[in-house]
Amino acid sequence: MGEMEQLRKEAESLKDQITAARKAVQDSTLQEAAAGITVVGRIQMKTRKTLRGHLAKIYAMHWSTDSKLCVSASQDGKLIVWDSITTNKVNAIPLKSSWVMTCAYAPSGNLVACGGLDNMCSIYNLKGKDGNVKVMRELAAHTGYLSCCRFISDTEIITSSGDCTCILWDIETGTQKTVFAGHQGDCMSLAVAPDFKFFISGACDFTAKLWDIREGTCRQTFGGHESDVNAIGFFPNGNAVITGSDDATCKLFDLRADQELITYQDSSIMCGVTSLAPSLSGRLLLAGYDDFNVNIWDMLKAERVGKYMWKLYIPLENGRKVDPAEDSEGSCRVAAGTEH
Amino acid sequence: MEEMDLPQMKKEVESLKYQLAFKREKSSKTVTDLVKWIEDGVPEDPFLNPELMKNNPWVEKGKCILL
Repeated sequence: MGEMEQLRKEAESLKDQITAARKAVQDSTLQEAAAGITVVGRIQMKTRKTLRGHLAKIYAMHWSTDSKLCVSASQDGKLIVWDSITTNKVNAIPLKSSWVMTCAYAPSGNLVACGGLDNMCSIYNLKGKDGNVKVMRELAAHTGYLSCCRFISDTEIITSSGDCTCILWDIETGTQKTVFAGHQGDCMSLAVAPDFKFFISGACDFTAKLWDIREGTCRQTFGGHESDVNAIGFFPNGNAVITGSDDATCKLFDLRADQELITYQDSSIMCGVTSLAPSLSGRLLLAGYDDFNVNIWDMLKAERVGKYMWKLYIPLENGRKVDPAEDSEGSCRVAAGTEH
Repeated sequence: MEEMDLPQMKKEVESLKYQLAFKREKSSKTVTDLVKWIEDGVPEDPFLNPELMKNNPWVEKGKCILL
């Protein structure tokens, strides 16, 4: 037997052992634990604000930690920082490359980042001395498109790419600190844990992976989806992961028991999930779909408790928002917010 | 999906060994904790409490806003 064949067999055996180890701790289900709980009542949403100004598709947006400012990226070649309460544009940043696919707001509020088909992550300083917003760093090393980026701090950022890897960067030196390799398909999205020790990535290999930021290792891999994982997020307390896929379902994975808890699906939903966000308590899951709908799920009962067309509103919660699947009108809608 | 070469396959096997070693907790404990955490948080969740929504900063207070 060749070495490759031996390794393949070993890999299959290890995967079987992991499956067995997961079964061994599965002495309860979410359905059982939530059996005595009533489904939440119907959720009504209202459009509260419309942020107009972009001239082409808006591909991404990200809230600032203050839940008032947010940044959006459009293929009109602009990054716009909005005051969502007044709907004023705080900054309109022209981009070198208009093929932007993602943007991020630093927790401090000092920096924003974006990237896309240029394979780079560009960092912009919003608080420069002369008031002008300039490119601070261009992080180049990925050999594929930048699908997502998220700041850990003003000095570190994590990026995910179509080259199947994620990278932790040192922003000051512009160099790679750690490369997270292991996915067998384009990495589509990432989310950082509330404690900033881990991050999760969703990819076109149909899996989600949990990574230890400091160790550089993949601690857990979650399969089960039947197509690309486009959207990913942490459950608010950091103990579970939520994924959204082209297979039209969302799934909840328990990090402590290392397994899938439940699937959010409905036979009437046949299009992919593009974005998601849990509510403050984690009771509700807001998910954006390719048909421009946002579905609201009761996370404990796996029942749909609300459905809204993007034209009516995009719900936001806890500083997160569900991106419109593809906002072709060039405006970005934000609604019925919440405070921490 | 990509086919792995030899070095990648070796890394994959190493990673799987590491992932297998993870200390899994019983789901009866983890799921109960999750449900409790949610239920404890529901009273503070604005989407589930109309009372809390009254402080919604995005609702227009009047016809004009002083900028």
